[in-house]
Amino acid sequence: MNKFVFGFVAALIVLPIGGIAYFALGFSPIRADAKPSALETALLRSAVRASVRRSAAGVPSPPAANDDDVVAGGKLYVLGCQGCHGELGGAYQEDTDLYPAPPQLPHAGTQYSEPELYWIVKHGVRMTGMSAYGPFYSEKELWSLAAFLHRIDKLSPGMIEKIRAKKAR
Amino acid sequence: MKNFIAGFLAGILVLIIGVLGYLRLGLLDARSDAAIPDWTARFLYSGIHASVRRTAPKLQNPLPQSDETLIAGGKLYLNDCVGCHGEPGKPPSDFGATFYPPAPQFPRVGTKYSEAEVFWVAKHGIRRTGMAAQGSSYSDPKLWSLAAFISSFPNLPPHVLEGIQQKSMK
Repeated sequence: MNKFVFGFVAALIVLPIGGIAYFALGFSPIRADAKPSALETALLRSAVRASVRRSAAGVPSPPAANDDDVVAGGKLYVLGCQGCHGELGGAYQEDTDLYPAPPQLPHAGTQYSEPELYWIVKHGVRMTGMSAYGPFYSEKELWSLAAFLHRIDKLSPGMIEKIRAKKAR
Repeated sequence: MKNFIAGFLAGILVLIIGVLGYLRLGLLDARSDAAIPDWTARFLYSGIHASVRRTAPKLQNPLPQSDETLIAGGKLYLNDCVGCHGEPGKPPSDFGATFYPPAPQFPRVGTKYSEAEVFWVAKHGIRRTGMAAQGSSYSDPKLWSLAAFISSFPNLPPHVLEGIQQKSMK
């Protein structure tokens, strides 16, 4: 029994040290122009989702959004987000330069609720290319962006046109 | 011995379940706008550097060491890197600070990386950071000029800086 405890403790010590050494000595591949394994993607994506759910639980419900808010959020998207997350109304094009790759929202849509989207845009997602936009957008802008993102793959062609037309003006 | 191995395996199992549980319960903070603890930053940066040192081929910059090279790299830097990494002679980038880990401010701190390593990082990016691979956007010679330019921080010759700014105003 004593030996069992020894073995147990040894595993708790050796594994973390091994993992830290593996990274610190530079054995962990670092280049971003590769694809994460399915395991890594599944693991980290679910961790981010769970963390966002937990953190955004305290965010108040969104103000009811009308079409104007969605269009306003769409304009912000066109200006600030589509470089990484995909052109609104454009063809699907996977980003292979960032690791993990940014989701192509106009095609993939999102599973997050509006308060969660608000939270993500405001605070960012660490250890990804998603930085925090809280310092750059007002509360109203963040909420309009969340309203837009929530509907991004279900927009009518008329709405898409409206969003893009305003940009060209 | 059998008991030791059984205990060891049990330890591995508990660790894996613990980590998975921690992640699945959402206990890992996902925010990128939280301050990164000093030891975490040092650990991440040194592990990344170690990996780049191990991976990047040890090459000489094929471009001549000249002002033209630095100015070409500087123009590229001003176009595409300043947003996150900061502009020479200006305050640090607010935008670069909103990443986790934050983007290093080269004009102030320079870099510990060799030119070949800077070239490799610019070309291939750094996973799990905001540093995207630029190899699909820029040719190798352009990235070498960029590497020469970034390596010259923080002691950029003033006339090079002037050269870049003049050319970029054109």
